[in-house]
Amino acid sequence: MRILLVEDDPLLGDGIRAGLKLADYAVDWVCDGEAARLALLDHAYQACVLDLGLPKRDGLWLLKDLRERGNQLPVLILTARDSSADKIAGLDAGADDYLTKPFDLFELQARLRALIRRAGGNATPRLEHAGVVLEPASKRVSRDGQPVTLSAREFALLRDLLSHKNHIRTRAQLEESLYAWGEETGSNTVEVYIHHLRKKLGAQFIRTVRGLGYRLGDPG
Amino acid sequence: MPGTEPEPHAHSQSLRWRLLRAVFATALLVWGLNAVLSYTQARHEAEELMDGHLAQAARLLLALVRDNESHLEDLATRLASVRSQEKHRYESPLEFQVGRADGSLLLRSAHAPAKSLAAAPGYDDVSHAGHPWRVLTIASTSGDYRVQVAQSIDLRDRTALEVARRTVLPIALISPALLLLLYYSVRRALKPLDELAADVASRSPENLRPLAQNAAPLEARPLVSALNRLFGRLDDTLSNERRFTADAAHELRTPLAVVRIQAQVAQLSRNADDRQHALQQILLGADRATRVLEQLLRLARLDPLAGLPHPAEVDLAELAERVLSDARLAAADRCIVLERSDDRLLISGDAELLAIALRNLLDNALRYTPPATTIRIIAARQDGEMTLGVIDDGPGVPPTELPRLVERFYRGSAARAEGSGLGLAIAQRVAELHAARFELENLPGGGFAARLRWPRPPAA
Repeated sequence: MRILLVEDDPLLGDGIRAGLKLADYAVDWVCDGEAARLALLDHAYQACVLDLGLPKRDGLWLLKDLRERGNQLPVLILTARDSSADKIAGLDAGADDYLTKPFDLFELQARLRALIRRAGGNATPRLEHAGVVLEPASKRVSRDGQPVTLSAREFALLRDLLSHKNHIRTRAQLEESLYAWGEETGSNTVEVYIHHLRKKLGAQFIRTVRGLGYRLGDPG
Repeated sequence: MPGTEPEPHAHSQSLRWRLLRAVFATALLVWGLNAVLSYTQARHEAEELMDGHLAQAARLLLALVRDNESHLEDLATRLASVRSQEKHRYESPLEFQVGRADGSLLLRSAHAPAKSLAAAPGYDDVSHAGHPWRVLTIASTSGDYRVQVAQSIDLRDRTALEVARRTVLPIALISPALLLLLYYSVRRALKPLDELAADVASRSPENLRPLAQNAAPLEARPLVSALNRLFGRLDDTLSNERRFTADAAHELRTPLAVVRIQAQVAQLSRNADDRQHALQQILLGADRATRVLEQLLRLARLDPLAGLPHPAEVDLAELAERVLSDARLAAADRCIVLERSDDRLLISGDAELLAIALRNLLDNALRYTPPATTIRIIAARQDGEMTLGVIDDGPGVPPTELPRLVERFYRGSAARAEGSGLGLAIAQRVAELHAARFELENLPGGGFAARLRWPRPPAA
């Protein structure tokens, strides 16, 4: 799960990035509206955390631009402006949610989970396939009722696959979802994590679609 | 609670009471004088009238006796019989004597004395039988006969009094009604003032809308417009304060958010380095909140000042020297030079405030220019004007942002997190208090200047 963080305050940006990383999100952090616009053009994100008072391009402008281009990316506005007029303007410009500073890290994580879940067309907080259950909030995974221990990357990979049930995910897509900018990606790390997941969840749980990528295996 | 108890001198301070008292006193005085004058005038006129009657009666008698003494016996009886008939209210009984020039009496009325009254010719007041009488003595042209007509002065006085009383009575009867009328007129005339007071009294503290000018009486309009001006100033002050409070809250939110989220990150981090980093960030966030708070309080203290509290002689060159030596300790790696005039630059001002302003300008230059930038502190005469400020040869400020720099909490696009967004606003306020111009400009050859400039004093 890759998230774009647009925040011009270095201390706060650093904190949010660290906090979201703790929830196993890959976070790309940009400090101004223009950089955010370019990042949104170049990469596929699962969600965007957007500050409104930004240098170069205002957050609201960015949001309108995004929606005009037909991009449905879930956007959570994070700002110190707390009047209802500001909230209304933010939501009307196309934001999905709104959080005022200061805020609780767990609340931010929960709201992002809900946004991502709903964007995937899924209202229930559990992701489930063929006896494997993933609860994003508690980060618990089980297979046929038995708890399974996964590393952070394995968890992120499984979450991505479960969120895109019935879709083939290319290696590039999975890499993009797993790693933020500046994080090293080995040439075959995705294959390594797929291998680990198969060992823990069953060989047939993830199928390789030759030449294309991976998808979840048929249940049963 | 003050204001609810009646003040001891409330009546003496009440416009209505003062007005009523003055009007009542004047009215009573005028009516009193009028009554006294009318009374004496009426009495006098009554006396004159009665004297006139005396004269008429005397001449009538004289005409009857002249050259015709024969029927005089008869006349006395006839007069007595006429007199017993019904009397007019103001008809007072006349007594008379008719005699010869030698003093012998020919005729007299019933109550007249038997001897001739000793009275001077013409009108005279004499006493007879213990009572005062008004007597008119006239003689016939030939001098043979003398007629005296007398009237009791007691009776005359009673009549005159009655006339005067009847003249004055209506005035006395009408005056209470007039006083009542005056009272209501005064009340009515002052009612707009009461309404004005009620309007002001019923206002909530938030209601600072101007009072209606046209409803107020002409005399109260200066007061109303003064009140309206006060309301206006209060409204400005209040909305400034509200904006300031809102801005201040806004500015403190971000550092607080930093402290909170980094604290949670520190709690959740399993890795010691991450935890250390988060704790370090918490300290920075707390420092920033402190700085914002300090600047806010500084500005809040400067804002309400109308002028400098304790102006003293300040040498700008010496002040710049001091600020520079402090700055060299804090920013040892930066290139800061002082450009000062050799002689003293004296102005009347507050050295502490000027140092704060200069430090803020220097802080901005340090914060928003690349490390290799040369920063010059200026304390000199430039174009003949005393100047205190900072000039750098950095990239300058985008022209569109220039006018917004002094806005409170505005940070330019190049802003870093450490600034409070208040430094230039404070510098500008200090400049205002010192009657200096505050100039922010990109220099033609590159670089940026932030200066306080004192207009050249008029040639002495």
